[in-house]
Amino acid sequence: MSLVPPDLIFVILAAVTIIGSILALQAKELIYGAVALAISFIGVAGFFVFLDAPYLAMLQIAIYVGAIVVLILFTVMLVRRGSLDEMTDRAEGGEGTVGLWLAGLLAIGIAGVAALAGPNLPTDTQPASLPVSSLGPVLVTQYPVPLIILALLLSSALLGALILAKVDK
Amino acid sequence: MVALPTTPADILPFVIAIVTSHAFITIVFFPGFIHLMLITMFLTWYERKILARIQLRIGPLYAGGPGGILQPIADGVKLIFKEVMVPYKADKPLFLGIPLALVFLAALPFAVIPFGQNWVIANLDVGIVFVFAVTSLFPAMILLFAWASNSKYPFLGGLRSLFQQVAYEIPMWIATLSVVMLAGSLNLVDIVNAQAKLWFIIPAFLSCVVFFISIMAELERLPFDLPEAEPELVAGWYTESSGAIFMLLFLGLYMKLYLMSSLVTALFLGGWWGPAFLPQPVWFIIKTIFVATLIIIPRGVYPRIRVDMLIRIGWSRLLIIALVNLFVTIFLLSTGILASWGL
Amino acid sequence: MVALVNYIIVSAALLGIGVYGLTVKRNAIRILFAIEIIVNAANLNFAAFTRYMNPAQVTGQVIVFYSIAAAAMEAAVGLALILVAFRLNSTIDVRKLDKLKG
Repeated sequence: MSLVPPDLIFVILAAVTIIGSILALQAKELIYGAVALAISFIGVAGFFVFLDAPYLAMLQIAIYVGAIVVLILFTVMLVRRGSLDEMTDRAEGGEGTVGLWLAGLLAIGIAGVAALAGPNLPTDTQPASLPVSSLGPVLVTQYPVPLIILALLLSSALLGALILAKVDK
Repeated sequence: MVALPTTPADILPFVIAIVTSHAFITIVFFPGFIHLMLITMFLTWYERKILARIQLRIGPLYAGGPGGILQPIADGVKLIFKEVMVPYKADKPLFLGIPLALVFLAALPFAVIPFGQNWVIANLDVGIVFVFAVTSLFPAMILLFAWASNSKYPFLGGLRSLFQQVAYEIPMWIATLSVVMLAGSLNLVDIVNAQAKLWFIIPAFLSCVVFFISIMAELERLPFDLPEAEPELVAGWYTESSGAIFMLLFLGLYMKLYLMSSLVTALFLGGWWGPAFLPQPVWFIIKTIFVATLIIIPRGVYPRIRVDMLIRIGWSRLLIIALVNLFVTIFLLSTGILASWGL
Repeated sequence: MVALVNYIIVSAALLGIGVYGLTVKRNAIRILFAIEIIVNAANLNFAAFTRYMNPAQVTGQVIVFYSIAAAAMEAAVGLALILVAFRLNSTIDVRKLDKLKG
């Protein structure tokens, strides 16, 4: 089948993202899982670039891969002791099948509904290219309340995490 | 776009069309791969010469040419032939793969840095955010490499390096915010174009100082040398690297130095603007080497900074100065004082 | 060309993977991985819908912006909680962390 370059890039990005997230959950070592998760996040950032949201893509890389993955690596390194080696993630009992059925129903259900409504959904109509500066005014004039709530939430989360992780001597 | 060759007679014109296209020249020659490698190797020699003169010695002298200019090539050849020692029970894929990733990530932001009006590889509208997104990946790689070395000293050095680099990223971002406000765009080409009449170091002087100090901490240069403190940690997070791995890390570090210096030039020192008797890229490189000299000189002059002073400077002092400059910039822009320079 | 349907399918697949990880895995950090994957799937969905339905009104991008910030906060607090739980119980197996006391 002949793939036009945008289609090829889409397929490659989808493969990277999905395989990355599968590996993140299935890898034996948590650190390899974190690296696979970082690769999956970079895949999603590539999707954002594809969707005409380059600023979001850079934010995704800077915050998710640059901060959250570092936090995860940190925690994994601090939580290393015998407890990790003797715990296996293999599902015992019926959990594996229940999880697979649940996840499969969800995913196939949503994808099926979308595919059935497929012809009614818009395909690539307008090549929209908004300037990056169009995000700023909308944030400040139309959605100022979530912005301020986000600021308060960030400070409280920072204080909360700090107090939780402090070692009481 | 050129047409793909269909007959064997079409191949030669196709190859010539690709080789002489602007994209190819910018990616491979200037400001792309070859120029990057040459200037990075030049910077290693340059640093050793400057430090030698500060310390009243001569530096590399015998490696051929005048003043040992081929010393980096000699270093490279020596390091390639050295044995790569992977520590006991170290994590091999990470240990061998991360230096490659580091060099890749250090070279990637050069795609958006403009060396001249047309000498930019990718004219991204979110140029400066792209550079910061990529530089925020460095602490993660350093932590992974330090952990993969499976040894105490690298791990401690890696943690220290992580704390330092993460702490000094924030004043860097806020200092850049003033410049972005003055220029009105995140595109690096627009930012340099807006400095045609007035270099941003004048209205945003405090931001320039904050940015300069932050990049010295990001590059782990003296006086922010804690992750590499030789009397304590041997060599910090790259203690266990040797041979080709060390050469890659060394290259990556000097590429980062060149990257940060060219960022200072593009954001504050007017990029390629200069009198017209020299072409634009030459002005850019001259200013960048000047900034690199300013970064290299404190290594021979200042003592190492203490860790509590490091944290205090990073989190409180620099942040406050950068925010002060932000308010000064808002004031200058809103009252139209800078209008005569077109801002 | 790429239609909106393809993005929904990818997003649904990521959601499925995330839900599987959330229900089956025993390691608390892997559950956090799964949560982040689910949030990413939702972000992708929002960005795709806003680009194909009404690109001039950047509501989807604003939502993704807030979602990324909120996910960063939630990951930080979640990891701090995992650290505290590990300090008190010496394990991060969620099957064993089933007592509210201590």
